Amino acid sequence: MTDRKIGVYICHCGGNISDYVDVKQIRDAVSRDDGVVIARTTMFACSDAAQEEMIDDIKTHQLDGLVVASCSPKLHLFTFRAVAERAGLNPYQYVQVNLREQDSWVHQHNIPEATQKGIRLVRAGLAKCVLSEPLSTMRIKTIPKVLIIGAGVAGLRAAASLADMGFAVYLIERSSKAGGMVAQWGKLFPHDRDGRALVADLHNEIKRRENITLFTSAELVEKSGSVGDFSIKIRVKEQEEISLNVGSIIVATGFDPYNPEPGEFGYGLEGVITLPQFKELLDESEGLLSYNGRRVRNITYIYCVGSRQEQTAERPNPNKYCSRYCCNAAVHSAICADALDAEVNQYHLYRDMRTYGKNELMYERAGRQGSVFVQYDESDPPLVEKTGDKLRVRVKDRLIGGEEIEIVPDLVVLVTGMVPRENQKLIDVLKLPVGRDGFFNEIHPKLRPVETVIDGVFIAGTSQGPKTLAESVASAMAAVAKSAALLMKGYVDLEPLIARVDQQRCIWCDACTDACPYGAIEKVSFEGKEIAGVIPSLCKGGGACVPVCPENALDVEGYTDKQITAMIDSMAGEVV
Amino acid sequence: MKNRVDPDLHRDFSKFGNIDVSTCMNCGNCTATCSLADETASFPRRDIHYLQVGLRDKLLQSADPWLCYYCGDCSESCPRDANPGEIMMAARRYLTSQYDWTGLAKRMYVSKAWEIGAIAFVGLIVAALFYFLHGPMVTGHVELNTFAPVEWVEFGDLIMAAILSVFLLSNAYRMLRFIMSGEQGLRLPISLYIKELPTIVTHFATQRRWRQCSADHSHWLRHFLLVSGYVTMLTLILVFLRWFQTDIVHPIWHPTRLLGYYATGVLLYATVAMMISRIKKSGEIHKFTEPSDWGFLILLFLTSLTGIAVHLFRIADWPLLTYYTYVIHLVIAVPMLIVEVPFGKWAHLLYRPLAVYLTNVKEKAKALPVKEEVKVAITA
Ligand SMILES: Cc1cc2nc3c(=O)[nH]c(=O)nc-3n(C[C@H](O)[C@H](O)[C@H](O)COP(=O)(O)OP(=O)(O)OC[C@H]3O[C@@H](n4cnc5c(N)ncnc54)[C@H](O)[C@@H]3O)c2cc1C
Ligand code: SF4
Ligand code: SF4
Ligand code: SF4
Repeated sequence: MTDRKIGVYICHCGGNISDYVDVKQIRDAVSRDDGVVIARTTMFACSDAAQEEMIDDIKTHQLDGLVVASCSPKLHLFTFRAVAERAGLNPYQYVQVNLREQDSWVHQHNIPEATQKGIRLVRAGLAKCVLSEPLSTMRIKTIPKVLIIGAGVAGLRAAASLADMGFAVYLIERSSKAGGMVAQWGKLFPHDRDGRALVADLHNEIKRRENITLFTSAELVEKSGSVGDFSIKIRVKEQEEISLNVGSIIVATGFDPYNPEPGEFGYGLEGVITLPQFKELLDESEGLLSYNGRRVRNITYIYCVGSRQEQTAERPNPNKYCSRYCCNAAVHSAICADALDAEVNQYHLYRDMRTYGKNELMYERAGRQGSVFVQYDESDPPLVEKTGDKLRVRVKDRLIGGEEIEIVPDLVVLVTGMVPRENQKLIDVLKLPVGRDGFFNEIHPKLRPVETVIDGVFIAGTSQGPKTLAESVASAMAAVAKSAALLMKGYVDLEPLIARVDQQRCIWCDACTDACPYGAIEKVSFEGKEIAGVIPSLCKGGGACVPVCPENALDVEGYTDKQITAMIDSMAGEVV
Repeated sequence: MKNRVDPDLHRDFSKFGNIDVSTCMNCGNCTATCSLADETASFPRRDIHYLQVGLRDKLLQSADPWLCYYCGDCSESCPRDANPGEIMMAARRYLTSQYDWTGLAKRMYVSKAWEIGAIAFVGLIVAALFYFLHGPMVTGHVELNTFAPVEWVEFGDLIMAAILSVFLLSNAYRMLRFIMSGEQGLRLPISLYIKELPTIVTHFATQRRWRQCSADHSHWLRHFLLVSGYVTMLTLILVFLRWFQTDIVHPIWHPTRLLGYYATGVLLYATVAMMISRIKKSGEIHKFTEPSDWGFLILLFLTSLTGIAVHLFRIADWPLLTYYTYVIHLVIAVPMLIVEVPFGKWAHLLYRPLAVYLTNVKEKAKALPVKEEVKVAITA
């Protein structure tokens, strides 16, 4: 017997539920259950009228628990938590049962069975509600300052925008100069703007804003605290250490160009160079294109070098991804080479031409200017050799049924992709999640592309994955928006659904520290002994620690062992 | 076989027509539309790709351009307006220049001056021969056989035919070598070459393949008439000159007269019709006209016109006019035959049937059962 007073609302969802599940039967079944004071069906639980009715019931019957059996909590958890709150009920004593996605929609062929299942689901929700406790969120005051790591185009753009929104920005750059990769290059696609000029402009923008502090030759060495209020330490020029407080962190540490293995597509032979080297050659050339003092008349590009690799015995960890920028940059380079010398012959040995979006226009232009595109199959890649002082490239041309052709170029350009930049120290300090491809991992590539599982730490630009300049900037702006949304309010409320330690039971065996991916467990002392303590701002309530504890000293609020067991029991019980 | 790329091929090639092969994006619409292309001869896209990439050897080995009759369907279906039909036409010009070992064909195709010069040169030789060697000019009435004795002219004919054949056949032999060189490892028995010989004759006489082109056969018909007139006239001149160039006027039903009228009639009709089409640019096939296309038509037209004039003047019994027109007639006809047939557009009269023939030989050879010892070698 419980002394709880719970209200249960079973929603028709306009028919979405009631067409396949007998909602009245469910109501009748649970209305006599222990703790249930009120059980009602409702056409649309989320409608204003229904919400008002619930508030009214809670108030008049002094309810201390609320169960709504409707749709997925993904849709309306917060709606009904707010209902509870408005009625003066603790929102964490609200439980949502998903009758739609988990029952009516998936069992449309069998109404009686679906109804039985519905009763069990609602009973499980009730069991959970009976054991629910009032909880409260933790409010943290946020610091209106942002740390940006990496002053490439992504970092610089993010700094300028955040500064304009009134935040103080600390921008730290590992190398001695800001600008990142593009600072070395001349003309860039798609607009032909000069990379150096572009970076210089950005740099001026940064200088003009007083609330940006740029540290060069600097790196992050320590971080503590949590979302909204991080304490960080940076080391500048190998000596000076500076401690700072920031509300959020944006990581924009960029990429490294792929460096081919010796012998890969003839790399190491004279006249075989990578795309970044070719870009430099183009930038340095005045008048006709020449390499090592000899005029270049025939160029052969080999695409997808270091990208889209297959797993083989020799290459157990291939770069499976497409580097996105390289088709575009290679085709653009061909246009630049043509501008230097219209007589130059250019062969592009490609796998798939990924000059996507408006960049298609560059592909079109290069083709019209005489660039020849020859498609090769990944299983039969081109061969680069040197006989005498001549380079020879042999490739099977798919457009003539895979017959082999031989090109004798002056220059072979390996269109190299992007690889994740070595940054182990930073990964350790920030506990950054790294994806299978080695780039930093977002929560969801489409829905949450710049957020990481560490609250308050965002990723931008090519540190997250291969991108063009425009895409790097777009992702920087997304990180800016996310940071600003977090810090503008001045505070963050942290969910109380986190782990808690039974201080009596805990013997500090330390098993849970390893299990927690967020580093949310620390050693604390309690009544003279050492026990585990949960850092509320870091814990995400994932519960990884719970099963590893040999003393059963851990529980997650809102999902306690007791609650789960009670739910299972009531679900498995007789339906009467 | 090394398919060594020649990056300058497309530059070379661009001199043979007003086209740009880099426009083509290799979508293959043209090949899909072409009613003459099939698995064994997949054109025109493939040949355009050879040109883009610079696969000169592959192009020389290809008989495709001669298997295309320029209906223009491909050009109409090309989403890039790359004019694949005209590229095939230019490929025929290019190949003609490559088959020709003297280099004259290439000179004539890339330079108008050379074409006109070569024709003028041969024409002047003919004029000079007449100037120095002609017989007495009887002025009372027409005595053409006194002015230009038929035995002499016949002798000249034979010399001309010999020159023409030597060049044309040696070039055709080079064509054969090129096309067959692409088939290394294929067993090509002589008996197959002999058995397939009739193909050359049928295709020479009827251009049968052309009739497989899309619906409209009017171009084929016009061309067929032209060929029949041309062949009739050539036979009259080379074989029956004694009956053809006479001073007595045969009765109207006489075979040489009837055949002569037929030949000149259709030649005049066909050449005029073709020239009008070119001027009007009617249809894909006439959209582009190169100097070599004009040269070909104009010379044939003028030859027919002057031939008819000689005939009329003789019937009218105007001696001097007959003699002069006769000289003019030959000054046009001889270079037309010596220069245009082996080196110019006219060479197609042999190359086309030869290409069909060689393609057939190749296909038949591929279908031959593999020899026992080869089979053994393969299984071992
Ligand atoms: C050959 C080549 C040609 C290209 N051409 C074009 C083009 O024409 N057009 C185009 O749109 N894109 C082009 N790109 C892509 C373009 O370079 C990238 O999109 C762009 O550089 C990404 O900017 P970023 O800020 O993300 O990274 P980066 O430019 O790599 O900048 C990252 C910065 O972070 C710093 N950093 C790294 N680690 C740390 C650390 N631990 N602490 C502090 N700082 C750190 C680095 O020193 C660097 O300055 C090209 C790429 C290549 C390789
Ligand atoms: S962008 Fe192009 S070259 Fe680069 S990896 Fe992708 S397909 Fe290959
Ligand atoms: S010629 Fe035209 S139709 Fe033919 S492959 Fe090229 S683009 Fe396509
Ligand atoms: S012109 Fe006609 S025959 Fe020639 S390739 Fe085009 S479609 Fe075929």
